[in-house]
Amino acid sequence: MRYFVRKIGFFVLTLWAVVTLNFLIPRLQPGDPAELMVQNLAGKNAQLNRAQVEAMRDLLGAPSGSLLSQYWNYLVQLIHGNLGVSYTYFPYTVAEVIGKAFWWTVILVGTVQVLSFAIGILLGAFAAWRRNSRFDTSVTVISTFVGTLQPFWIALLLIYGLGYGLGWFPTAGGYQASTPGFNGAFVYDAMSHAFLPALTLMIVTPIGWILGMRNTMIMNLGEDYIRLARAKGLPDRMIALRYAARNALLPSVAGFALALGGILGGTILVETVFDYPGLGRLMGEAVGIKDYPLLQGLMLLTAVATLLANLIADLLYGILDPRARRAAA
Amino acid sequence: MALLDVRDLSIRYEPKQRAAVDAVSHLSFSIDDGEFVGLIGESGSGKTTVGMAVLRLLERPGRISGGSITFDGTDIAHLSQDELRKYRWREISTVFQSSMNSLNPVTRVEAQFADVIQCHTALRGREVTERIRTLFDMVLIDPKFMTAFPHELSGGMRQRINLALALAIGPRFVVLDEPTTGLDVVVQHSILENVRRLQAELGFAVLFISHDLGTVLDLSDRTMVMYAGKIVEEQATRQLLREPLHPYTKGLLGSYGDPRAETVRITYVPGRPPDLAHRPGGCAFAARCPERIDGCTELEPAETEIGDGLVACHVAAIQRGAADNTTGAEVGPAIRTFAGPQFVKSAAESAEAVRGRPLVTVDNVSKTYVRRQGLRAVRTEAVTGASFVLRRGGVTALVGQSGSGKSTIARMITGVDAPTSGQITFHGSDGDQVVARMRGRRLRSYRGSVQMVFQDPYSALNPTKTLGATLARPLINFQHLHGTQLRDRVIDLLETVALSPGGRFVNRYPHELSGGQRQRVVIARALAVEPELIVADEPISSLDVSIRAEVLELFDKLVHERSVGILYITHDLLSARMLCDEVVVLNEGKVVEQGPSLDVIRSPQDDYTRLLLDAIPNPFAATRD
Repeated sequence: MRYFVRKIGFFVLTLWAVVTLNFLIPRLQPGDPAELMVQNLAGKNAQLNRAQVEAMRDLLGAPSGSLLSQYWNYLVQLIHGNLGVSYTYFPYTVAEVIGKAFWWTVILVGTVQVLSFAIGILLGAFAAWRRNSRFDTSVTVISTFVGTLQPFWIALLLIYGLGYGLGWFPTAGGYQASTPGFNGAFVYDAMSHAFLPALTLMIVTPIGWILGMRNTMIMNLGEDYIRLARAKGLPDRMIALRYAARNALLPSVAGFALALGGILGGTILVETVFDYPGLGRLMGEAVGIKDYPLLQGLMLLTAVATLLANLIADLLYGILDPRARRAAA
Repeated sequence: MALLDVRDLSIRYEPKQRAAVDAVSHLSFSIDDGEFVGLIGESGSGKTTVGMAVLRLLERPGRISGGSITFDGTDIAHLSQDELRKYRWREISTVFQSSMNSLNPVTRVEAQFADVIQCHTALRGREVTERIRTLFDMVLIDPKFMTAFPHELSGGMRQRINLALALAIGPRFVVLDEPTTGLDVVVQHSILENVRRLQAELGFAVLFISHDLGTVLDLSDRTMVMYAGKIVEEQATRQLLREPLHPYTKGLLGSYGDPRAETVRITYVPGRPPDLAHRPGGCAFAARCPERIDGCTELEPAETEIGDGLVACHVAAIQRGAADNTTGAEVGPAIRTFAGPQFVKSAAESAEAVRGRPLVTVDNVSKTYVRRQGLRAVRTEAVTGASFVLRRGGVTALVGQSGSGKSTIARMITGVDAPTSGQITFHGSDGDQVVARMRGRRLRSYRGSVQMVFQDPYSALNPTKTLGATLARPLINFQHLHGTQLRDRVIDLLETVALSPGGRFVNRYPHELSGGQRQRVVIARALAVEPELIVADEPISSLDVSIRAEVLELFDKLVHERSVGILYITHDLLSARMLCDEVVVLNEGKVVEQGPSLDVIRSPQDDYTRLLLDAIPNPFAATRD
């Protein structure tokens, strides 16, 4: 129990630190975004109009008052979910923009991650159990080869082959001819659009799990408790699952929770290639056109997600590995 | 008919990269129902391989390349894993080497009993729990630990639980592979007593594999001695103790001294076992054998029956009239002892050493560790009010179980930790100094005067560095030597520890050496800076018995020739007596007894000392009188 309380305590502390840093860092940067925007609007060599700059500040809701009161305001706004107004999607707020993109990414990448993890662990465990068999060799060789390929390149190949060549799947966007909402036509539409990005990711993501699981499991198979389990005459399935895989799973589980945290920002290239309306593309855009509030909102979201994932990893680890509970307590 | 009958068993390791090795060749033995048989051998002799083969747990690249293993009338050597399942645990079970690792770390102990019980019997639910409870009672462990995880148990408890696990379904045959190696003598003793009692009650047969002569001879009805993949001698244990036949057996027995004697003599077997990939012609032991005759290096000795025993030795066979002396070689009369180099320690010598000048005075030293746990501070008293003196040219043993504070004292003497109260004074060549107050250059020079020798020579040497580089490092650091001077000194050091000619060892890597040779390199490294005090932490416990004496001998030579002081840390009073002049017995951080070694061993005053003494296996007790 102590273990879990400690871990949650740590989480709250780091969360506070992240939120505070997110507040401080932009304020430490030189330059005035309002000036920058007016300059952009007016042209490179034009004289700045102070009134315009002031107006722009007001428009952006630029901060005033002492740092402490700014900080307080920031926290209050944050609790209300107010992250400011996006420059590019004006007049939409950052929260609204992110909210729209959020589910597209979470559903796509979340499904992919869960599936890849499951597939990767199973393949890896099986390859290790049948070490040096034809199955093991082909899995290892193929994984190592595919692992060297860039996802966006695979994406381009798929677009060319399955999209343009065969015309089976749409190659860009999240949906086309249907009205968003929970109806059959839209779900079908969205799924067919998600297919190619999902396939791209499914080709790449399981590889890490396969190789990782295979290696830890092979190491575990050399342990004394596996030999003892064999000597006990237990059925192979039981030895493979309850003794070997159960122990080999531990490092992967921690990695998996972290991977879930990375969902939100980790697929910029793939989403951009498919012009998929998710967080990755949004982040790519935000960086490209210096949409600071949006970028800041996305950063905060990613950081919080990573933290949450870490917390889940720790808690899960505590449940799965009794040794962790005591060592940290 | 024997319960287990092994005939002509050969086991071959065929690694992909290197040459194949016959780890075991043409080995035969049998074990009757309810019999307790010991198998002694040193590292690399193939004893564990034999155990694994009997359990049919050999893994690639090892495989049974010939012969049969007949269990209860069925040859199990070539059964498939599925066919073997009905023998596993129900008939044949096992306890592995120092089982720190043989329980699944992520499941409760109870579940690891339950799976095997449910797999092989019809017991279910409460009956299973009842059975586990009975098993825990058998090994004297409170059944409340059933729901514990392995890491929550001490090493001794884990090993008891492994024993209980082995007996879970009442097997007829149990393979014990080094079941107590790595445990404290006291714990080891109680576990083996437990084994002995249960074996008598339940009547299962045992194959007890160990490198530890004392425990094997103490427990077994019959003992087999293995060398280089073959059984060289097999006799009823009592007979083996009374009249060992093979010179190697004599060598092993000779490495055991009687700690109570006025003068302890132990012999050691020089050299190292042959590389099995290039097995020499004739007898594999011939190169190390003091009784060797010409025929030994030519013809491999066959197993010959002598009395009720078996021996594979030309000399023994000729001496006992079991073979003709065809070559007409000179064969001496049969002897009981190993006619090789020996190491002698007399009480008179020790009495001399006790008069030596003090080197380190430990005065009323205590050490309390404070560990923070949130806002609370947990205090652990590691050492309480310890006082003793280390002398120049003398060896003092610090004896105690793990957790008794031995290592803490060593850390304070070497200046790594400071005492909480009391003080440690070093009477060095440049005056008296309090260890804990040394700083900067003084501390640096002190570190040069005090050197450590570690327990495990396998991990104390950097595997990627040659011996030359390893030894040069302290010489460069402390004495600023370089060039030919450095090289000469390195070779000199190697010769000091009897690795000669030194020039041949300079460019070798640790993995090319035997355990004893490695430990000598570690000692040479400690000597490089010409220390005044050497702290040796269990320096021989990880070495094979036949070469232990060789390291003891080296220590002894250092004491006499260089008049260094040695603090010898151990849990084993027997080895303490062989090397040390004085003994300090430590229990729970307190010095409970100290004095000249012989006095402490002959007439221990403290209960704890007696407990330690009683725990030493004493196979000779029965034959001595």
